[in-house]
Amino acid sequence: MSLLVITIGLFSLGLYGILIRRDLVAILASIEVMLGSATLLLVGLAAAGTPMGTHEGAVEATGVMVIVLAAAEAAIGLALVISVARRFKTTRVDELAEVKG
Amino acid sequence: MSGLAWGALYGLAAGLVIAVAALIGVWGERKVAGRIQMRIGPQELGPFGLLQTLADTLKLVLKEDITPAAADVRIFRIAPLIVFAPIAMSFVIIPYASGFAPLDTSVGILFFMAVPAISVIGVLLAGWSSRNTYATIGGLRAAAQMISYELPRTLSILPFVLLAGSMRPLDIMDEWRWWWIPLTFIAFVVYFISSIAEVNRGPFDLPEAESELVAGYFADYSGIRWAIFMMAEYGGMVAAALFGAVFWFGGYLHLPGAFGVIMLIAMATLLAIGMIWVKWTFPRMRPDQLMGTAWKVLTPMALVQLVIIGVVIPWL
Amino acid sequence: MSLESVIFAVLGIVAVSGGIVTVFARDVSRMAMGLGAFLVAVAGFFVYWGATFLGIVQLFVYIGGVLVLMIFAIMLVHRSPDGSPTIESRHDVAAIAVAGGLFFMVVTALRGVVPDSVDQGITSGPAELNEAFLGPMLTHFEMGGVLLLAVLVAVVVILGGDER
Repeated sequence: MSLLVITIGLFSLGLYGILIRRDLVAILASIEVMLGSATLLLVGLAAAGTPMGTHEGAVEATGVMVIVLAAAEAAIGLALVISVARRFKTTRVDELAEVKG
Repeated sequence: MSGLAWGALYGLAAGLVIAVAALIGVWGERKVAGRIQMRIGPQELGPFGLLQTLADTLKLVLKEDITPAAADVRIFRIAPLIVFAPIAMSFVIIPYASGFAPLDTSVGILFFMAVPAISVIGVLLAGWSSRNTYATIGGLRAAAQMISYELPRTLSILPFVLLAGSMRPLDIMDEWRWWWIPLTFIAFVVYFISSIAEVNRGPFDLPEAESELVAGYFADYSGIRWAIFMMAEYGGMVAAALFGAVFWFGGYLHLPGAFGVIMLIAMATLLAIGMIWVKWTFPRMRPDQLMGTAWKVLTPMALVQLVIIGVVIPWL
Repeated sequence: MSLESVIFAVLGIVAVSGGIVTVFARDVSRMAMGLGAFLVAVAGFFVYWGATFLGIVQLFVYIGGVLVLMIFAIMLVHRSPDGSPTIESRHDVAAIAVAGGLFFMVVTALRGVVPDSVDQGITSGPAELNEAFLGPMLTHFEMGGVLLLAVLVAVVVILGGDER
C-alpha cells in the first residue's frame, strides 16, 4: 500500500508538473519524474513477488529496457528543446506559438 | 556490527584514505616533477620534504572563506562535495587482500565505472553556480571531457569481464592468469590514458589550466573548498592506479593477508608515478584534440581489443 | 521501527521531496538538484530491493547521462551568467483536479492488486540478466541498440544540420 501511494503520488506529481510548468526544460524534468516513478512501481511489484516474464532475470532486463527508452526520449527531447531555443530565442511555452488566435 | 555500520565505517575510511593519498600524492608529484625538471623538490620541511604538504594544508585551512557575491551560495557550497563523494565511494570495491573487498557486490566492475559519472554533476554545478563566464565554460568543457572518456574507460575493463565470466572483482582475481597481461595490453593503454583524462589530470587538464581559463570551473573556490577539488582529483588518480594494478598487474597475487595489500600498494604506486610522469612530460592537449582522441582513437582501440578477446576466448 | 522500514521511509521521503522540488521550484538549478535527488532515491530503492545491477545502471544512465544532458541543455539555453532565470508555473484548479483525480483513480483501482509490503526482493543477478537478454528478450536487446543508434543520428541531425 505504501509502495502504491508513493509511486502513484510521484506519478501524479509529475503529471501536475507537466500541466502547470511554463518552461520546456521544466516540462521535460516532470516527464522524467513520471518515468522514474513508473519504473519504481514496476520493480517494486517484481520485488513483491509478481513475475515479470518467463525468465527469472526478466525484471532487471525490463527495468534496463525502460531506462534505455527514457534516456533515448530525454536525449531527443533535449535536442529538440535546444533547437527550438535557437530558433525562437525563448523556451517559454506561452511564447512559442507561430499560429496565434 | 551490522552491515550498515560496517558500510559507514568503510565509507569514512575511504574518505581518510583519500586525504592521506592526496597528502602523499602531492608530495610525490612535487618530487617527481622536480626530478624531471632537473631540480630537487621540496626539501625544507621534514625529511625529504615530507611535511611540506601538511604545511600547505594548514595554510589552506586558515585561509578566508570567500564566496563570490553573485554566486548561488547553497549550490556553490555543495558542488565540491558532489565531486568528492563518488570518488570516495569508488575505493570500496577494490579487492585489497585475498578474499577481502570492503564492498563485495556481484557488479563491482560496473560500480567502479558508474560512480565517477556522478562527479560530472558536481563539476557542472560548480561552474554554473559561480556565475562567472569562464568558470561556466570551464565547467562545460570539463564535463564534456569527463563523459567522453567514460566510454573508453568502461570498454577497456570489459575484456576481464569476458575472460573471467563475472563482474565481481574477487571472482576475476580467482580466475586471473599471468598471460592475461599481454592479451589485454591494448586495453591497458586505453585504460591508462582514459583514467588520466577522466580525472582532468596530466596533458588533459585544459579545463583547470591556470594559463588558459584561470583555473576553469573552480576559479572562484579558495582555501579548503579548492582543496576538496584537488583531493577528488588525486583520489581519482589513486583509485584508478589501484584498480589498474589489481587487474593488469595481478593485484595481491594471492599472497596472504597483509603481504597482498603491500604488494597491491607497491604496484599502484608504480602506476601513480607513471601518471605523474606523463603529466610533466607532455604538453597540454587542445579541446578538439582531446575529444578527438576519446572518440576517434581510444574507443576504436578498446573495441578492437574486445574483438581480439572475443576471437581468442573459445581456445581458452 | 525496524531498520528496513527506516530505510524505506528515508528513501521515500527523499524521493517525494525531490519530486516536489522538481515540480514546484522556481529556480532552474534547484529543479535540477531536485531531479537529481529523486533519481538517487530511485536508485537507492532498486539497490534496497536487491536489483543491484539495475540500481547501478540507473546511476550511470539517469544521473550520469540524462541529468547531465539536462544541465547541459539548461546551461546552453538559459545563457545568463547574471542571475538565474526563474521558471513560471501557472497553478490552476483544473490541473489539480486532473492530477488528483488520476491519483485517486489508480490507487483505488490497483489497491487490491499491489501487495502490502515488499518482502521478497529480487534475487536475480547479472547472470540471469545475461541469460534473459540473450534468450527470451533478445529482440528487446537488439531493438534497444537500434533505437539508441537512431537517437544518436537523430540528435546529430537536429542539432548539427544547417548552421544558421
